[in-house]
Amino acid sequence: MNTVLSRANSLFAFSLSVMAALTFGCFITTAFKDRRVPVDIHVSKVMLKNVDDFTGPRERSDLGFITFDVSPIFDWNVKQLFLYLSAEYSTKSNSLNQVVLWDKIVLRGENTKLNLRDMKSKYFFFDDGNGLRANKNITLTLSWNVVPNAGILPLVAGSGHFSLHFPDTYETTKSY
Amino acid sequence: MLPIFKSIPTHMDYKGQKLAEQIFQGIILISAVIGFVYGLIIEQFGWTVYIVLAGFALSCVLTLPPWPMYRRNPLSWQPALSEPSGESSQKPQESLKKKKHK
Repeated sequence: MNTVLSRANSLFAFSLSVMAALTFGCFITTAFKDRRVPVDIHVSKVMLKNVDDFTGPRERSDLGFITFDVSPIFDWNVKQLFLYLSAEYSTKSNSLNQVVLWDKIVLRGENTKLNLRDMKSKYFFFDDGNGLRANKNITLTLSWNVVPNAGILPLVAGSGHFSLHFPDTYETTKSY
Repeated sequence: MLPIFKSIPTHMDYKGQKLAEQIFQGIILISAVIGFVYGLIIEQFGWTVYIVLAGFALSCVLTLPPWPMYRRNPLSWQPALSEPSGESSQKPQESLKKKKHK
């Protein structure tokens, strides 16, 4: 503490320690918060086609198109949310299938009351067989990753589900 | 350049150093508490960081330069001996040696 440099050194070190303690406090105040919010999902239109899956084995797979409406409300004190909509279903070959159909990143400062209508699914809903046709119990769940300033990265599932069933017949496309 | 820097007096006396340390710790802790509460209320941790940085800058201004308030208690050195004679210069050495042997 005798010279300017030693004073600057101790001042800087003390400030960094205090900042680290504050960051830990920020983590502690939000660590035990319940980040589940009610989610309302509706599916308005389901299409089922039988197309070639060029990404996998050359077999005909079931492909569904889903239009949905998601309106979650959430409050946060984190940097961003990564929302994704996943479908869970069981087929004869696999007891649990999970397919991510759609995702969205919501940054800080953006509108946190999402009321999305007529969203199309971003990713193809391929089954690795023919398990989608006449599947009566496909559960849509909206989940999100909370990306925090400090602390753990929780993975939260919304408290609203929607279960849909696919039609028994394929849609026939006449374009080709 | 270096002699110019060395010619600037930067030292504080002992009580001044203690006072400076107490001042910057107090300022940073108070700004940390204020920033934490404010950031918790408006739910933006960035403002907490800004307020702590403001406290850091304020305490830099207050404690880095050797302000006169840190130099109020200078050490009272013994007056320099004006005439170094043979006897007077040997006596303190003898007393030092005696203390060391004890």
